[in-house]
Amino acid sequence: MGTKLRTGLAVAAVAVLAAGCGSKGESTSGTQAGGKLVLGASLSLTGSLAREGILTREGYDVCGKVVNGKGGIAVGGKKLTLEIQYQDDTSKPDTAAQLVDQFNDKGVKLILGPYGSATTEAAAAVIERNGQVMSDSSGADDNIFSKGYKRTFAVLSGAKQYAASMIQAINDLAGPKPKTVAFVSADDGFSKTVTAAGQATAQQLGFQVVDVEYVPNGTSDVSQALTKIKPKNPDVIIGSAHLVEGVAIVKQAKELGVGPSGGFAETVAPPTPDFVQTLGASAEGVLGSTQWTVTTKGSDAWFGSATDYAATFAKQFGGRQPEYHGAEATAACLALILAVQKAGSTDAAKVRDAMAGLDEQTFFGPLKFSENGQNSVKPMSVIQIQGGKPVTVWPKDAAEAPLKWPGKA
Amino acid sequence: MTQLVQAGLYGLLQGCMLGLIAVGFSLVWGVMNVVNLAHGAFVVVGAYVAFELHDLFGLDPFLGSVPAALALFVFGYLTQRYMINLVVNAPIFITLLLTFGLQLLLVNGLILVFTADYRSVPTRYAADSLVLPGDVRLPLGRLIAALIAVGLTVALGYLMRRTRTGLAILATGMDRGAARLMGIRARHVYALTFGIAAALAGGAGAAVGAVSTFSPADAGRFTLFSFVAAVLGGLGNTSGALLGGLVLGLVEGIGGQLLPGTLVNALAFAVLVVVLAIRPQGIAGRAFYASRVEA
Repeated sequence: MGTKLRTGLAVAAVAVLAAGCGSKGESTSGTQAGGKLVLGASLSLTGSLAREGILTREGYDVCGKVVNGKGGIAVGGKKLTLEIQYQDDTSKPDTAAQLVDQFNDKGVKLILGPYGSATTEAAAAVIERNGQVMSDSSGADDNIFSKGYKRTFAVLSGAKQYAASMIQAINDLAGPKPKTVAFVSADDGFSKTVTAAGQATAQQLGFQVVDVEYVPNGTSDVSQALTKIKPKNPDVIIGSAHLVEGVAIVKQAKELGVGPSGGFAETVAPPTPDFVQTLGASAEGVLGSTQWTVTTKGSDAWFGSATDYAATFAKQFGGRQPEYHGAEATAACLALILAVQKAGSTDAAKVRDAMAGLDEQTFFGPLKFSENGQNSVKPMSVIQIQGGKPVTVWPKDAAEAPLKWPGKA
Repeated sequence: MTQLVQAGLYGLLQGCMLGLIAVGFSLVWGVMNVVNLAHGAFVVVGAYVAFELHDLFGLDPFLGSVPAALALFVFGYLTQRYMINLVVNAPIFITLLLTFGLQLLLVNGLILVFTADYRSVPTRYAADSLVLPGDVRLPLGRLIAALIAVGLTVALGYLMRRTRTGLAILATGMDRGAARLMGIRARHVYALTFGIAAALAGGAGAAVGAVSTFSPADAGRFTLFSFVAAVLGGLGNTSGALLGGLVLGLVEGIGGQLLPGTLVNALAFAVLVVVLAIRPQGIAGRAFYASRVEA
């Protein structure tokens, strides 16, 4: 083999890897000018989590528009308008950490969280070191909250509730009650925490867990896991995964003739509009867990109730209804604003202390942080795809429709 | 046992899909020594063409692969003729940079136009399957995609070995100087080769759209698959990429049953390393491509 080709191979290998990395966000200059409250946000605007990253940005944008529409935030006798600076972390944890560090260099101390647990975890370490404050909108992995950080606050329910809430809902509502469940889980930290907690809850409630299969995070091919599960014939397959794997589970299960008698339940995929769009009729009956729906109870001075929030969101985005990614992002922004208001200052240390003491009702549900920064009081909702739409079925007091069981199309 | 048969068959179908994605990539690399990092983006563009045609006219995605291929052929021809040809003599770094830039441009353009949403082209039959004894399933959509992959690879082999155009492409690939002295217009032949490769990518994209999901962010993944399948199969032979894809698919399918599911990617790359150590030119590659004359 010629040296030329060999060099070519090596170079090409590196370049192919680089091509998978996507683009790097350009940096903008900006400082905390008079009359402005600048928040920094490192988001997955390109790369594997671009879809969810952009949904998160929409939530932050709604927050900015509503706050500025009401004249801004009153701090120390002055009205500050909100400016959110975005940077693209290309869905990579290291880049997210670097970008948060860059925000610090520019004097931006108040940070809105990136999308996803891995990026949030990386950013949280930098936040702690720099004395910044982060309002986490989507990082639910318990790893983020087990390191003793004092400056990262998550508005959402913890990872342990994602699968557990659906199993609880099946236990409460399904008739005939299924006996066996199997898990297909992605292998990232968040999904593994969800799966472990889901397994524990299932066993506690008397379900038999017949199989737990792990698949590479972000894969569109889960056929190997499904082939292994098929002979064990579970009543329900629980997917602890993101959108791509979630769609693949339902799609490839049909291809491979894997038909659990109760149907499928998947953590984060079903509430997103893409889930129904890509799967069509096969999405019918799938259960999902969500941080927020339009029937969530509670309201606040900035956004009103969940229904009011949905109307505001729809107005800003051409009639499109919000789903939980947008709502949790807006809620994270709201938490920071409430903390700034309460502190009467934009100083990071004071905002942190105010944040730690928050106890508010919001359109996103109750907001109160435990010692480790998790929202300790918020429950999760369970939805089911009915007639091509996600419909809240659990908890019972917020249900829009009864659970259809078995949940098969 | 049924489980292994199922995994093996599904893996082979999956491998055909990889081969279909990789065959154009391998062609361009073999003939022009250009590693086209925008190849994955071409696949995604093909998928969007099929998606739009289905959305607008209700065209079946497998039929949609024909217009997708034609559109990508024109795009590929023009790209090579008026862009890549300008630097085709430069070191491989320059063409890598150029195609990398092209991929960034395409991917971000697609995000602007179509957003980063995941899509899939719905069909009524693609997720149905043929039931073999032992409840082993052959999904219809993947079966059609596999047949297209094999058909196109055979057709490409015929084109390259039996037609004047194909021979001109081969000749230019082996020794551009000599080919030009024989009256072959290298510029045109290069553009034609790139056009054919882009067309194959476009057709593959339509098939991907029918059986799986896609979004602009998948471009890098498709390029990586192509790279691995092309290197594994070997350059200089049209069936090399298909063979590489099949080996990858089979290894992942069977390996996934015997090992924990998270190890399948590592296993696939381990096979690549072993094959390259034993047969550096790939399974079906030809050594003369390494020692050809560059002028």
